[in-house]
Amino acid sequence: MSNAYIDDFPAEAKVVRTAFYSSFLALALGGVFGVIQTLHRTGYYRFIDSADYYTVLTAHGVFLVISFTIFFLVGVFTWAITTSLDRGVEDLRFTWGWYGLMAIGITLSGVAILAGFTDATDISASVLFTFYAPLQAHPMFYLGLVLFVVGTWLAGVDWFRSWWAWKAENPDERIPLPTFMVLTTMLMWYIATLGVAAAILVFLLPWSLGLVESVNPLLTRTLFWFFGHPVVYFWLMPAYMMWYIMLPKVSGGKLFSDPLARVVFVLFLILSVPTGIHHQYLDPGIAEGFKFIAMTNTMFLLLPSLLTAFTVVASMEHGARQRGGEGYFGWLKALPWRDPVFTGMALAGLMFAAAGFSGMINAGMNINYLVHNTFWVVGHFHLTVGTAVALTFMAVTYWFLPQITGKALWSRSVALGQVVLWFVGMTFMSNAMHRAGLLGVPRRTAEPQYDGFEFEAAVGTMGELQAQIALGGILLTLSLVLFFANVVGTALNGRSDDLPANEYAGTLSGPEDAPLVLDNLKLWTAIAVVLVVFAYTFPLLSIIDRGGLFGPDINPFPVSLETVHLLAFALESHVTGALESVAWLGVNR
Amino acid sequence: MRISKAGLLVVLALLAPLLVELRTVLSWINVELTVLETAVVGAILVVAVLVWAFLPENGNGKTAEGDASSEN
Repeated sequence: MSNAYIDDFPAEAKVVRTAFYSSFLALALGGVFGVIQTLHRTGYYRFIDSADYYTVLTAHGVFLVISFTIFFLVGVFTWAITTSLDRGVEDLRFTWGWYGLMAIGITLSGVAILAGFTDATDISASVLFTFYAPLQAHPMFYLGLVLFVVGTWLAGVDWFRSWWAWKAENPDERIPLPTFMVLTTMLMWYIATLGVAAAILVFLLPWSLGLVESVNPLLTRTLFWFFGHPVVYFWLMPAYMMWYIMLPKVSGGKLFSDPLARVVFVLFLILSVPTGIHHQYLDPGIAEGFKFIAMTNTMFLLLPSLLTAFTVVASMEHGARQRGGEGYFGWLKALPWRDPVFTGMALAGLMFAAAGFSGMINAGMNINYLVHNTFWVVGHFHLTVGTAVALTFMAVTYWFLPQITGKALWSRSVALGQVVLWFVGMTFMSNAMHRAGLLGVPRRTAEPQYDGFEFEAAVGTMGELQAQIALGGILLTLSLVLFFANVVGTALNGRSDDLPANEYAGTLSGPEDAPLVLDNLKLWTAIAVVLVVFAYTFPLLSIIDRGGLFGPDINPFPVSLETVHLLAFALESHVTGALESVAWLGVNR
Repeated sequence: MRISKAGLLVVLALLAPLLVELRTVLSWINVELTVLETAVVGAILVVAVLVWAFLPENGNGKTAEGDASSEN
């Protein structure tokens, strides 16, 4: 008999397992669409029509950054709450209820997207992950997203209920760190999703249903990005949690500082949302001053990221020294590189550092103009969500699988090869994407090259960049195949009694060193709301004032041959009159 | 070996970003490498790392302690 998670919380382990398998299904689908579009866009292998590229791109985006990430998150958070509070969920039916709502929601949205491949039905949702107007999807897509998001809200309620129940029994205890991370992340999520809830329920869904004739595109864009940037942190926070509470443990040591970890999560709670306008630097209709405020807030977000880099590396060094590592850099050799859980997370963190640098360029108002809407941005988020998050999730899966299935991991060697292959593949792909973006190669298109125009690479050729992207895409696909081989192989294994205990890292500086105010969630939530009000009230009022709540009055331009003749006559009279006036002035000067 | 096999794998993987970025960096000083030349530089680096890794430490052929203790 082991002390694995499944032994202590068998019912909750089933929930976590189901959430993870849902996540992996989305990862498989998203991965398939990823390699299809990579090979299509680079021209190496085309078997879909370019018009279907947007359906492929939507499926790739939604399945990966909505389903894969968030299903994994709810699994990790359920594990974190139950493990750190050492209690099961309050009501298992409620837990299955929110999981069911999420599953139904993403199924509806997914079917709406995939239906776009066939003409047998008029259902389609090729609106990309950034689903704002003027692109319009079938109502089923929006309805699915609503159910999915409501499911996550209820999941948050579930975790808060656990904490409230625990607090009633432990009134003088500090919030355990994993629970603190879950609660602050969910508070941020509640605030962030108000934007997308308003965008869908008030504008996009009624518009799609034909209940309103038009929407204000800039308003729906702004509401989307109100949610669209903090959702990045919603993906990242579980990865951060793993770096804080698992990476030190697998390194062989302890977390360097619990108080610093709490500070980081508080900073993410208050700073994540009032930054979304930095995605709209090139949008007309939003005053430069509001964009400057968003840039300033975004730059402040570097602080928690740098704190994390310091704390996590310090924890790793502590672990390495516990294992006999010596010297300024010699300790690096003592780290457990054989362990795919460690190596995957370490490589993911390294890639995230590179992503931080390209992110600063995205966030800077002036230099953003150079890379806005180019392939650079795609390279950037393949380092953040595509590696920092995805690679961390895959790496910790190798620790979680035995915990939630009760079965030993199928192959540690394959797992190690998989995480390293992901790192190499993403290096090739994202590097070429960044460099192509600097040349002005656009994102979101099946045909990046145009007739009569050729991009000129500063180093090498465009063909080499395309080859590098295709090579990276293929390596990433192979890495996914290895990952799924391990997941399936582990599921087919027999039950093991020799599993590691369900534990997370201890701390060198514990919660007793953290000021009590850090646990005051009401205070941080209030500050977060105030910052959002400051950052968004005037831009939103300005957008509505200029363009109307449901868009400006639409006066269709009369297009007919008679109109063209009339317009030509009017224009000719006007120009002739103007020229005559100029000539008259010249004669009489 | 001076380094564990897993450590060697990671070091070789880290050569990938080094190589792809090296090409750009060298262009700043007007050294423009073709893909073939970059591959040759890469191969030389890989061989250099392998030679370094497989050379016995202190001449006694001892395996690096490294992450040997993590082979559980």
